[in-house]
Amino acid sequence: MMSREKQQALTSHHSPTRSGMIFSGLFLMLILFFILDLFLGSVSIRPGEIIRAIFNNSDDTTRTILTQFRLPKAVTALFVGIALSISGLQMQTLFRNPMAGPYVLGLSSGASLGVAFVILGFSADLSPESIKGFGNWAIAAASWTGAGLVMLLIMIISSRVKNIMTVLILGIMLSSAISAIVSIMQYFSNETMLKAYIIWTMGSLGNLTASQLNVMMLSVLAGVILSLISVKMLNAMLLGEDYARSIGLDVSKSRFVIIAGTSILAGTITAFCGPIGFIGIAVPHLARIIFRTSDHKILIPGTILAGAIIMLASDIIAQMPGSDNVLPVNSITALIGIPVVVWVILRDQKYRDIF
Amino acid sequence: MRNRIKNILSFKDLEIGFTSGKLRHALLPPLNGSAGKGELIAVIGKNGIGKSTLLRTFSGLQARLAGELTIDGKSIAEYSRVKLSEKIGYISTEIIKVSNMKVYDLVSLGRFPHTNWLGRIDKVDHIVISEAINKTGMSEFMDRPITELSDGERQRAMVAMVLAQDAGVMIMDEPTAYLDISSKFEIIQLMHELTRSREKTVIFSTHDLTTALNQADKIWLLKEQGVFEGAPEDLMLEGSFNTLFDDKKVQFNSNDGSFTIRNDEKGKVIVIGEGAKKYWTEKALLRAGYAVVNSGSTVEVKVPSPENSNWNCRTHGSCRECDSIYELVNWIRDNNFIF
Repeated sequence: MMSREKQQALTSHHSPTRSGMIFSGLFLMLILFFILDLFLGSVSIRPGEIIRAIFNNSDDTTRTILTQFRLPKAVTALFVGIALSISGLQMQTLFRNPMAGPYVLGLSSGASLGVAFVILGFSADLSPESIKGFGNWAIAAASWTGAGLVMLLIMIISSRVKNIMTVLILGIMLSSAISAIVSIMQYFSNETMLKAYIIWTMGSLGNLTASQLNVMMLSVLAGVILSLISVKMLNAMLLGEDYARSIGLDVSKSRFVIIAGTSILAGTITAFCGPIGFIGIAVPHLARIIFRTSDHKILIPGTILAGAIIMLASDIIAQMPGSDNVLPVNSITALIGIPVVVWVILRDQKYRDIF
Repeated sequence: MRNRIKNILSFKDLEIGFTSGKLRHALLPPLNGSAGKGELIAVIGKNGIGKSTLLRTFSGLQARLAGELTIDGKSIAEYSRVKLSEKIGYISTEIIKVSNMKVYDLVSLGRFPHTNWLGRIDKVDHIVISEAINKTGMSEFMDRPITELSDGERQRAMVAMVLAQDAGVMIMDEPTAYLDISSKFEIIQLMHELTRSREKTVIFSTHDLTTALNQADKIWLLKEQGVFEGAPEDLMLEGSFNTLFDDKKVQFNSNDGSFTIRNDEKGKVIVIGEGAKKYWTEKALLRAGYAVVNSGSTVEVKVPSPENSNWNCRTHGSCRECDSIYELVNWIRDNNFIF
């Protein structure tokens, strides 16, 4: 009897095939959307021409459009999707709050404040267009610091306030306060600085220079590595601080690693693409729905794939293929993300207090 | 006794409490005690006396203010967080609500100290997890989301998690707090079994004195004066429980370890008869505020016997047959006899 139970336990334990199939499916979708993002745009290029441009080393317009514009933009979209989604997932687990995300809790604002300090506070020379390499790293570091400080502040708030809606409202207050500070800084800055800053705030997926792209890719890679290191810690943190510690987690060390990873991911994206909302909060929920698990061994790669796909899709939609108009990608991500967030709020009425 | 039972946890002049800034606030005077291997130990005391703080201190979730706390021969200070978790498991009253987490996932988190950096569950881990799930009778719930469990099932899943952790000492803060009577007995039974068959030491806090007295090998009774340690029976004979609650309101019955609420005595009643009917009749009268005596009262109740199926109540002038205890007690109360 006992042995039969054990055997049953052994066989019915987790079906790796289901997750495996979903991963393969998502991976194929990712490739498909990446290619689509290259194909579709304001200028319509026939697939045959694209293939010819890739393999033909000639200097024609198609090749220029492809390598100078569409490829960097698709790569940017890919990394933005990955970075924002992981940072959202990590925040949701760390704060045990399904409504957490880099945008709603003010990480993006914190990052903008960091950038504002660099551009408005010091010198326009540090703006992205000026000293190519150094300026980009300075801006990235400033936004990590800004995002990190907001993370710490939210951490302190969350340890005192258990109600997630209250934390959310305080996050919004924080964002508004930071915007106010940035406005004051704008008021007191000179024209060149202001112009550099305004150009930065209008950032989108398509404006990145090659050196910015490099900084972004390296930073996101570092963030992804940190998130992979955090998998076990994140799983333990689902149980809350006391249980996490009692099963053997060094909570302060883990918090440091997770906050560092999240700040680097969210900060980097805000630094180079401006605030992009609702990807970070919505994608982790989609991954949970698809994979039906709370295990970060699956959720981290799951959000990486889902985030990249959704960001590529948003970019494709924003291009309005076949037309000359380009929509702000921010609006597209909001329109995709908000329904998910609303659904989560309505579904989780019961579990409002903790995640 | 110290020589025969191996102490797995002991504390000497232990001060518990909390610090805020430079202020040190000790809840109790220095405490002394020890827990042997395979013992079931109940921590008893009033609300706010420091039961949870004591248990959290044992689990390393709260720093001790002073004194020694030794776990398996080493001071708690010498353990790293993860090493301590191999010795001590902990279940609090906090309810874990994580959507999409299944019972198996929860229990596998208990393997935290034993798995690699990614938390990968290997064959050995899987066998330990399955055993823990079977042991707690949760095998049919293995794939059930934890948010869909009843209070009793959830508590059993938590026990399974700590079992998978494979620590020698299990600390449980009010494990039966939310449970209905049958789930409560299941958990107590499970705790009892673990101490017998697996050589686990289980330390739990409870407000349920009857359970503690019946099941625990040892009791740590927390009072303002400190901790009183001993087998339930020892403490009973020493009279330690008598002052646990406010004497004026609650009366401790040292014969069966039960508590009764003290009512103002309204009068005395003689109860004649035997068996269960006598016992329950007396109980009802006590609750209604009457003392049960053998003589010296004018009110006399005869409980049902083979000759008579009714309760027969006689006093000076009147006599009454009642067909239930309810009717009897009401009649005595309504007539307001002068005793």
